[in-house]
Amino acid sequence: MTAIPQPGAGEPRRPNIASASVQLPAVKNYEQVDNEIIATLKPTKKWFLALLAAITCLAIGASSWMYQIHEGLGVAGYNPPVMWGVYIITFVFWVGIGHAGTLISAILYLFRAGFRTTIYRAAEAMTVFAVMTAGLFPIIHIGRPWKFFWLIPYPNWRLLWPQFKSPLVWDVFAISTYLTISTTFLFIGLIPDIAVLRDREKNPTKKAILSALSFGWRNSEAEWRHFVRAYLFLAAFSTPLVLSVHSVVSFDFAMALTPGWHTTIFPPYFVAGAIFSGFAMVWTIIIPIRKWWKLEHYVTLNHLDATAKMVLFTSLVVGLAYMIEFFIAWYGGVEAEQTYFWNRVFGQWWWAAWIMLTCNMILPLSLFSQKLRRNPSWLWILSIFINIGMWFERFVIVVPSLSHEFEPWQWSGYMPTWVDYGILLGSFGWFFMWFLLFIRQLPVFALSEIKEIVQPRMKHGHSHNGGH
Amino acid sequence: MGGTNMKQGMLGAFRELDATCLAIEELKKKKVGEVTVFTPTPRHEIEHAMKSPMSKVRQFTLVGALSGCVFGYWIAIWTSEYWPLVVGGKAISTWIPYTIFGFEVMVLVGALSTVAGFFILSRIPRLTMTVGYDPRFSHGDYGVWVKCAPEQLKTAEEILRRNGAVEVRGEE
Repeated sequence: MTAIPQPGAGEPRRPNIASASVQLPAVKNYEQVDNEIIATLKPTKKWFLALLAAITCLAIGASSWMYQIHEGLGVAGYNPPVMWGVYIITFVFWVGIGHAGTLISAILYLFRAGFRTTIYRAAEAMTVFAVMTAGLFPIIHIGRPWKFFWLIPYPNWRLLWPQFKSPLVWDVFAISTYLTISTTFLFIGLIPDIAVLRDREKNPTKKAILSALSFGWRNSEAEWRHFVRAYLFLAAFSTPLVLSVHSVVSFDFAMALTPGWHTTIFPPYFVAGAIFSGFAMVWTIIIPIRKWWKLEHYVTLNHLDATAKMVLFTSLVVGLAYMIEFFIAWYGGVEAEQTYFWNRVFGQWWWAAWIMLTCNMILPLSLFSQKLRRNPSWLWILSIFINIGMWFERFVIVVPSLSHEFEPWQWSGYMPTWVDYGILLGSFGWFFMWFLLFIRQLPVFALSEIKEIVQPRMKHGHSHNGGH
Repeated sequence: MGGTNMKQGMLGAFRELDATCLAIEELKKKKVGEVTVFTPTPRHEIEHAMKSPMSKVRQFTLVGALSGCVFGYWIAIWTSEYWPLVVGGKAISTWIPYTIFGFEVMVLVGALSTVAGFFILSRIPRLTMTVGYDPRFSHGDYGVWVKCAPEQLKTAEEILRRNGAVEVRGEE
């Protein structure tokens, strides 16, 4: 553990360079951190309105799902051979959203990227709720949700176990491990912050709850020493995990001998897309939070600029993956692949493909402009386009392949119904409801880690400003 | 309030980090009791002053990760061999797909063991706050709790005050 280097006195700080020494000049002391961040726990009118909107969307989704359970899966837009549709698309979308949280909290932690400090808590919470949302979709997709436990690997009554060579079983292991580790990572990081809330709480009932949740944390040096080490190892485990999870999700497709799916580029392509979409969702969430609670001096323009560079980089990776797909289809010389890709971009599904290309490849190029990278309004608008574009990327992967396989008599179309759209809307309601409830109960910015980058009070000298 | 003899030690509250470190160093140098430090955030300066050994969490991590990895491979191999179904002439147990289970379960058990190690070594969950804790230590102040024999109380108090403690009190 080495101290984070600081620029020398009088050395100019480059405004747009994300470095380990991203500081918060407007934050003066630990008390200010506690007071300003804990203020986000007070409900506001906007918070109530947002929660109402989320619950309304959730109610629409729940009603649609109940209707589907009553009437059967036929009310969804499935049309043989397109038997994967909005539910699988939305599943992959939400798993992807869940990626940025662990990337920001674990990978950027290991790389000592200072800009993560003020956004990682929101991103971690986003991860947990996104994976919770994703986990609903295989259950919705199977049509008979009361049989959901068949997805869990356990032997049947004849002691025949699931097929461990199947990507669908890999998926169950990967997603459930990811949800467990993400939740653990979030909660472990919250323990010291819950202790801060406990120590400030006057209401005895709330204090008792917070005491239980903080496990009697005392901020002792020994506790911190074990905490820091445990956090480091959790980050080290989460780093390959986050890369493996979306690789495994991509195997659901890549293991099938279907045009457009059976390709080795899928794992890195999916991982880059997941990080790309996850960062966009972080913007969708964090930009209103910093504005509504006047926390612009915590999530500064430098932080947004650094995240914008990550988004630009992942957009370029995703764009390159799109181009390589086209190139390999042409270079491979397989007619089914070639006609499939032509159909994807210029045929039946041109509109979906061009929404994807515009939102994911063309619009993010604006981030080459430093002015736009430092414009929160543009970043928020762009995040909405990227979210839309990444949903359509999964649409373009799932539907055109199934609707245009090898035999012309199998070629078909697909049109989602109002039930599909209702459940899709409900998933956003479910996700945002949990997130809004989270930010009302627990600090959305990590108190203890932010304190680490605030200059501590000194009697005699100057401190190396570094925590763990 | 009890007398000096009933006190378990002295608690000093500090506003400044360097003052806290100086007090810790002097207490350690003069071997006055057992020192516990409370800090709102982990600081290298305090770690150096305390000269604490490296955390043993990593041992839990290693054992958990190895056990998880072995279990992940074992469950996939054992279930395949238990009811062998040959598909397409391929091997019953195949290493490449089973590595996914080995990896996933390694991460799962390794991470949960790390958390268990953290809890065990930190001695949490703790039902009640122990002697010497003050809520201000999670907010912005530093605390130095010196658990010592009654005859050392005076020395501890002097060291804490001399180094800039804003409040020093005996705790029972």
